[in-house]
Amino acid sequence: MRIFDLIRMGLRNLTRRKARTLLTVIGVIIGTVSIVVMISVGIGMNESFEASVMENGSMTIINVSSENWEENEDGQWTSTTQKLDGEALEKIRAIEHVKGVTPIINNWSMGLFSGKYQGWGNFMIMDMDCYEDFGYPALEDGTYPNKETSKDTVYFGAQAQQNEFYYWDGRRSKTKTIDFDRDKVEIKFQEYQINPRKKEYTIKLKNIGKIAQSPSGYSEADWSIFMDIDMYKEHYTKYANTLKIDDRKKALASLEKYERIMINVDNMNYVSDVQDEIEKMGYKSTSDMQYIEPMKETAEMLELVLGAIGAVAMLVSAINIANTMIMSIYERTKEIGIMKVLGCKVGDVRKLFLFEAGIIGLIGGIVGIGLSYVASWALNTYGGQIFESLMSGSLGVAEGSQFSVIPFWLPFFAAFFGMSVGVLSGFFPALRATKISAIEAMKSE
Amino acid sequence: MSEPIIEVKNAKKIYKMGKERIRAVDGVSFTVDKGEFCCLLGTSGSGKSTLLNLMAGIEKLTSGQILIKGESIGGMSENKLSKFRQENLGFVFQSYNLIGSMTALENVELPLVFKRVRGGKRKKMARRILKQVGLGGRMRHKPKEMSGGQQQRVGIARAFVSKPDIVFADEPTGNLDSHTTIEVMELIKSMAEKNNQTIVMVTHDRKLSEYADKIIHILDGKIESVEIVDHTGAGNASPPEEKSPLEVQSDDLSTAVEQTPQDNTEESKGIEESTEVREEETHETN
Repeated sequence: MRIFDLIRMGLRNLTRRKARTLLTVIGVIIGTVSIVVMISVGIGMNESFEASVMENGSMTIINVSSENWEENEDGQWTSTTQKLDGEALEKIRAIEHVKGVTPIINNWSMGLFSGKYQGWGNFMIMDMDCYEDFGYPALEDGTYPNKETSKDTVYFGAQAQQNEFYYWDGRRSKTKTIDFDRDKVEIKFQEYQINPRKKEYTIKLKNIGKIAQSPSGYSEADWSIFMDIDMYKEHYTKYANTLKIDDRKKALASLEKYERIMINVDNMNYVSDVQDEIEKMGYKSTSDMQYIEPMKETAEMLELVLGAIGAVAMLVSAINIANTMIMSIYERTKEIGIMKVLGCKVGDVRKLFLFEAGIIGLIGGIVGIGLSYVASWALNTYGGQIFESLMSGSLGVAEGSQFSVIPFWLPFFAAFFGMSVGVLSGFFPALRATKISAIEAMKSE
Repeated sequence: MSEPIIEVKNAKKIYKMGKERIRAVDGVSFTVDKGEFCCLLGTSGSGKSTLLNLMAGIEKLTSGQILIKGESIGGMSENKLSKFRQENLGFVFQSYNLIGSMTALENVELPLVFKRVRGGKRKKMARRILKQVGLGGRMRHKPKEMSGGQQQRVGIARAFVSKPDIVFADEPTGNLDSHTTIEVMELIKSMAEKNNQTIVMVTHDRKLSEYADKIIHILDGKIESVEIVDHTGAGNASPPEEKSPLEVQSDDLSTAVEQTPQDNTEESKGIEESTEVREEETHETN
């Protein structure tokens, strides 16, 4: 048979029993809509979940701190300390999937001075080669700092640039916002008592880099002042040399220890693996991921459950198609016999039935996709309250996020899936049709 | 014409019904020549239909061999057989076996569809042959909208449309009244003669067998006797051939009856009286 004749004959057979075909197609439509909508809701939930998580910071960062606070069984907070040094750093750097590692020193005793005015800042002393890896915003000129550019440059976050400097003249305090382009700024270490026999050590800032504002405007990068660790060590050693002998020893020793090691993992999915590795080395670590993991698992579970509901609907419609095809074969037993005697090949009989089943699946799939878009739109427009109650307890729904998201591949998947379900469920009935003996078939009425 | 187109060699078909073995066809051998009208005559249960089915490849032989155009029909694969049927065989059935959802034209087109003939050419061929069988005006009718005689004429058109070398007819007039029977027989015979086609017909009706060139009497799965009919002789069994089937119309009752062979007149008249009733029945049952 020519393919065109096969299609025409198949379509004619389907239109012969309009009601039955229609009901079977409706079955497939329901199956398709439920599976598409369920998947889209799952995807929508995951997306809004990730969006709200992203607002809170990067998901791939792990922190290993020298001091860890933990709540014990009695509800009291106790701290434990662990030693973080160059050795720990190198061990962590060797872990698979670790993209960037930097030691962090937050020296709170560094003061900013501009003439008589004094200001404070949160100094982030880190390996500036890793700056970009940790998702910090670019500089105002669009570039990122690295070790080379950071030899004598200190970078101010968007908020840190706005910090006011104070001056107490004995009666009242005066404030001043520093213009980094014109005012001279110095850094002084105020950790130890000044050695009166030596000149106080100051860092005169020659170059100041301005960091652009982060998307949220209030992230760590915005209120921090970044300095490369090598630059810090150089200056701090010089500072230590101005101190009294006892203080000098302490100061130099403190350089060997880090407050924190920050790790960036190349993929969200490996964060917990890397944390496990760090744990094996004997270090405690924390990450945002760690808190989010259970919530993510809940969301994934919900997605799976929704998908399963859709799959059940699809299974029912597959059975429905098979049933329709079997009925159709019973009805057309005689016709099949006649066709065979008139020279119709067995393969053509099979193709005919597979085509009919496939078309039911395809039409159901296509109409189903259309209705899925309608359902998805309705959910996004009117379904807010339902989903807010569903999502409560995990994470707040991010502003402007959608409850049902149909990605571009889903309609193609659904159409293909519908047709495959049709062809598969039509396969055994079709096989049965080919086995009908012509002589028996023609005897039947 | 002595060129054999069908050769049946010691054909056997044994059915197993529980423990019993039924010899439906029991060692039959004969040949049918090209262009011959061969009739398998026998009572019901004699195995004549089974023999026809064996010859057409619808049923498989238990033993023996059937050659059609020199090819063994028993040894063919399913696909080869389908192709062989498309090329060489036509079928006319007792119960017409038309497809109810299709019009007369589409039914006639069907063998050509399987043969992969293109739409336009196919329709032309089907129209032409439907006109030949006198159904030029009923092409768009479905089988249910036609009388038994008309349906069988569609069946005949379908059997002949692809110009097969051999047409098998299984009790082609079994469901028809006597008058329509004659029309249909005339039609089959004239169509076959036009293209020198071979006809193998199964019947239990002695009268109908007289249309044949060769009558094979079957009894209990065996050949009882082979009778060669001489149509050129005195014509005691010769069917009339004066009228072309084109002119024979189903409503042309009286003329058709008048043309039945002399020795059957009495019997035919008896049936003729009940013709109307039977036609109604045909309408209802179909």
